[in-house]
Amino acid sequence: MAETILKLEKITKVYGNGVVANRDVNIEFKKGEIHSIVGENGAGKSTLMKIIFGIEEPSSGTVEYKGKPANFHGSMEAIKAGIGMVHQHFMLIPSFSVVDNIILGDEPVKGLFIDKASAVKKTQELSDKYNFELNVNDLVSTLSVAKRQKVEILKTLYRDAELIILDEPTSVLTPQETQELFEQLRGFTKQGHTIIFISHKLDEVKQISDRITVLRNGVSKGTYNNDELTMAQLTNLIIDRDLENDMDEFKTHKDFGGKNALEVRNIVMKHHSKNILDDISFAVKKGEILGVAGVDGNGQVDLVKTIVGLEQVEYSGDVIINGEKVNDKTVKERRNMGMAYIPEDRMVDGISGTLPISDNMVSTYYDRDDVSKGALLDNKAISRISDELIEKFAVKAKNNAVAVGSLSGGNVQKVVVAREHNTIPNLMIAEQPTHGIDIGSAELVHHKLIELRNEGAGVLLVSADLNEVIDISDRIIVMFEGHIAGYFPDANNIDETELGMYMLGVKRQTPEEIGGALND
Amino acid sequence: MSNLFTLEFITVIIRLTTPILFASLASFAAAVTGIGNIAIEGIMTMSALFGIIGSNLTQSAVLGTLIGVLIGVVIAMSIAFFSMRLGANAVLVGIAMNTFSSSLALFILYQFTGEKGSSASLLAPTLGSWNIPVIKDIPILGTLLSGHLVLVYVSVILALLFYILTYKTPLGMRMRACGLNPDAAKTAGINVQRLQVLSLIFSGIFAALGGIYLSMNYGKIYVNGIVAGQGWMGIAANGVANGSYGLLLIAALVFGAFRAFAIKVNIPRFGDLVGAVPYFAVFVTIIALAIINTIKVKKGNVAEQ
Repeated sequence: MAETILKLEKITKVYGNGVVANRDVNIEFKKGEIHSIVGENGAGKSTLMKIIFGIEEPSSGTVEYKGKPANFHGSMEAIKAGIGMVHQHFMLIPSFSVVDNIILGDEPVKGLFIDKASAVKKTQELSDKYNFELNVNDLVSTLSVAKRQKVEILKTLYRDAELIILDEPTSVLTPQETQELFEQLRGFTKQGHTIIFISHKLDEVKQISDRITVLRNGVSKGTYNNDELTMAQLTNLIIDRDLENDMDEFKTHKDFGGKNALEVRNIVMKHHSKNILDDISFAVKKGEILGVAGVDGNGQVDLVKTIVGLEQVEYSGDVIINGEKVNDKTVKERRNMGMAYIPEDRMVDGISGTLPISDNMVSTYYDRDDVSKGALLDNKAISRISDELIEKFAVKAKNNAVAVGSLSGGNVQKVVVAREHNTIPNLMIAEQPTHGIDIGSAELVHHKLIELRNEGAGVLLVSADLNEVIDISDRIIVMFEGHIAGYFPDANNIDETELGMYMLGVKRQTPEEIGGALND
Repeated sequence: MSNLFTLEFITVIIRLTTPILFASLASFAAAVTGIGNIAIEGIMTMSALFGIIGSNLTQSAVLGTLIGVLIGVVIAMSIAFFSMRLGANAVLVGIAMNTFSSSLALFILYQFTGEKGSSASLLAPTLGSWNIPVIKDIPILGTLLSGHLVLVYVSVILALLFYILTYKTPLGMRMRACGLNPDAAKTAGINVQRLQVLSLIFSGIFAALGGIYLSMNYGKIYVNGIVAGQGWMGIAANGVANGSYGLLLIAALVFGAFRAFAIKVNIPRFGDLVGAVPYFAVFVTIIALAIINTIKVKKGNVAEQ
């Protein structure tokens, strides 16, 4: 194969607090290949990418770029050398136009001023060359997620990146958009670009990669040609244990009388006189998981806020929990009725990062009898409850006094799920519950949701991860541009591509078909 | 009341708007990179005093002005040092600077003059006004445009220049990027901290000029309490503008007009109450905007902030 463009030799990174993120990692990246880096959360992928991109410096070991030693100090040096990175969380300024976002930091000038005309020309040509179908004068805030990602990729191309790092690029895309991205990536490699692809989604890794490097606990488990590795082998390399693939057995179906834990009736909400929620009606029965599939930004956030009681925008329609209308009830009152909530943004809405695990484990039911005595918190009980939950949910932490914010994403989510699970809910609202966390943690979260269901709770699962929705839901609705585009009464009998069509608005069912979601 | 809307009244508005405009620019310049400078009042006080003292020592109004500006820059940089380098809370540093400045100014004034009220005993040249040739002879237009204090023109020119810097140059675009999404700026290779320090320095210069205007151009002496909340009005104007340069200028003008109104309207026994009108106007504006925004959010016409 082609020459080596980037060579990592014996890279070790030990952080100030003694955490070893990478140990003796050797990887060679070949020019023109798509090279995937896979591994669980905390396996050291991010740190390795930060070292390549000049954000972190290795404790020992050498980075060689195009045959020369390259220990970049700061991302600017990496960018200048021809390395670009598309971050998982987009680094864009929504109120800037596409062209301004692209040229930021490397602006063409005419005298003292930005040469807007030539900037527009150059970026538009670049976009057209790669068939990105962008108008560079549009504001980024008006673009879809997939288009924003294209802006990010254009940013790297504008700076003549030869090596492009993509961190979890498909986590926000529909299956169709993912395929489009893959075609574009293939196009890049034909033009001599090298792609480093980081992902949790193994099927995508198998589909797109030329070669794959597996990281586990900061150590490289080897680089393999894609075709010499089966999916099962790859999975084993990543987690070092066979995945319990017993979701189906676990899905014992009991009947809980067909009563509804949650009913949502005719919710309409306007934003700039456009309907962001357009006559949404469905029910979650006791003892079932109702999956809400859809690309991010199609009304799911407002739907969840409305159900949970966080919505500030006026709406019409009813939210009914356990047969009682709750439109005017506060979040706390709804929680007292048995609602639990796993919020999408775990770091902001799910936990208080600076507080210990113990406080976070009881923060939504601090006034419960087993947690507080009269007006005072019972710290002994809190500590005991936390220890039990840490054990039961396999939270990796030294003890319950550790600040939650210092844990990895997967472990933070376990704390949130443990707390919500311990409220003994009869209605669980799970919003993107496994977004960006590792396979092991995601599996645990799924099991706990199914466990709740089997005990008779209704679970509303809102997720952009199609596999997740299909795997653990009993029934599925698909949201597109604020309305329910499709209703699938049997999640075990469903075609992913078919679902994708509804997610993208290609197909839409009749009101009668969708009406089935209500369980009347 | 009948002579409220005369040419003369408009010139009063211009005169009273100038310090608020400087303060507004000072607040905007810091906020554009995401820094809140709440020490504008304190910087204005110190620069007002040191302008006069510098002018007295050098017997030059221009050098006095430069010394006053230098003091503003030094205070701005010390805020940057305390909050960015030493990690102190920027708001607390600002509060400390404000309270410290008012008492320090009193002490320094006493050291130089032996008085605690004003700098009346210090012989200090001050900045004058400017009659624009040709234009000054045109009726109405001449009165409107010509014969204003020098720093009035400076404020208008700086407002224009800072607009161009912020919205038309690479530096300005990078500064705005720092304020809107520092992570995005960082990944674009921009040194966010350096630009934040720079924007604090701009802020210090604007605030200093506002203070100098009060003591060396509009007034001819430094008087205790000379700034009288105008620094805060600038911060309020910036808050009202919420990132819009046009609104910033309009807000400064509106607050200035209210001050002119308060001076012009003379109701016996209620003079002090009328004097509070501009401050009340600031208060009402902020509350009104908050209410409007809440309604917009409820109606779904605007994203939550």
